[in-house]
Amino acid sequence: MTLAFLIQTMVSLLAIAALVALAAWAKIGRSVPDLDEPCALRLLADEFPDREIDRVWIATDRGSALARSGDQALVLYRLGDGYVARSLPWAELAGAKRIGAVRELRIKDFTAPRVRLRWDEGAAWPPAAEGAR
Amino acid sequence: MIDPITLATPFFIVSVVLEIVLAKAGKAKTNYETKDTMVSLGMGLGSSVVGIVTVGAIYAATVWVYQHRLFTVPMTAWWAWIAVFFLEDMAYYWFHRLSHERRFWWAAHVNHHSSQHYNLSTALRQTWTGGFNGSWIVWLPLALFGFAPAMIAIEKSISLIYQFWIHTEAVRRMPSWFEAVFNTPSHHRVHHARNPRYLDRNYAGILIVWDRLFGTYVAEDDTEPPRYGIVKNLGDFNILRAAFHEWIAIGQDVVRHPRHALGYMFGPPGWSHDGSRQTSRELRAAWERRPGNPSLIPPNAGNQMTRSTGGRGGL
Repeated sequence: MTLAFLIQTMVSLLAIAALVALAAWAKIGRSVPDLDEPCALRLLADEFPDREIDRVWIATDRGSALARSGDQALVLYRLGDGYVARSLPWAELAGAKRIGAVRELRIKDFTAPRVRLRWDEGAAWPPAAEGAR
Repeated sequence: MIDPITLATPFFIVSVVLEIVLAKAGKAKTNYETKDTMVSLGMGLGSSVVGIVTVGAIYAATVWVYQHRLFTVPMTAWWAWIAVFFLEDMAYYWFHRLSHERRFWWAAHVNHHSSQHYNLSTALRQTWTGGFNGSWIVWLPLALFGFAPAMIAIEKSISLIYQFWIHTEAVRRMPSWFEAVFNTPSHHRVHHARNPRYLDRNYAGILIVWDRLFGTYVAEDDTEPPRYGIVKNLGDFNILRAAFHEWIAIGQDVVRHPRHALGYMFGPPGWSHDGSRQTSRELRAAWERRPGNPSLIPPNAGNQMTRSTGGRGGL
């Protein structure tokens, strides 16, 4: 590894730091509205277009949502200025870890192994699926 | 020889600064998310560092093939540069198509698509593992034909530099003659989209004509804006996850289903032995069957509806 390469790498690191700082200063991310039911349903329809949603619940911080679709749970959560969605068997919700007001789901998916939902501490978990949305 | 990409790096940096500043001033349409930008630029730097390990071996292989060449194409002939421009660009098309349609090569390329954003920093979100999976073999026939390794390397760099500027939402459309021949921001937005109708389309490097010729061209439909990223977007901004997640997933699938190892390694992304997942082709087919899909509406039902299927499948 030559000195020139080391210098080039260090300069690149400085340039990256400056560009990231500029992006942070600019605050030009997408505007991400808080989730409500219509918004969550629209996003879930994009992610799972062929799934019928039986019912949807919005997390207390409105940054994530949980939906039931047959025997599947569909979770949607904010990441940066976008959303990420995953599905898992509804039965696996019972194994969610409770950390204060947060329910932490472990998903068998290396690309999104952990999902945290902020949930009303007094509310049932998993939520009861009875009743139409 | 100085690498053209090294020479172009200041231009890349200035362009990203300009895109951000213009967006901040309300003069250009783009979005930057801080952590996403950090991952994209970090991937770019990591790619050039890892490239040090592989570039020598790839160049040596190219030289070896060149030593067994069928003809000798003179580097000083003008026509030789025109020929290598077209042939390298076609080689890029097939490399890129392979990198999307077969999982072993997709595993190295997926990180370039893993951002939910489409801006100039996304262009720099480059692979860390592409030098190890042998996809560079696609360019060896050029050396076998008689193009000097330096010519091929220069042309590959020109292609990569060209492809930088098309990673933007700030440019809507280029003039129609340009859109017809060259890869453009509009064409490449389609390529980065995860909407089923746009999946595995527009593989071009510089010339979009290859997609039109080989049936993979789709025009950007203004009624369906691209949603960027991959079919299952990454759940965090961990750069190591972005770099290696598909390799890990292949490893897990092979260990769980050793009898189907070849399918999980070399089948299309989304292939599974039990049909529990969906490939891009299947996702597109499901989209085409969906009620309300404009492509299901008869052509005489009105121009506005039929227009949204326009551009599928070539000239």
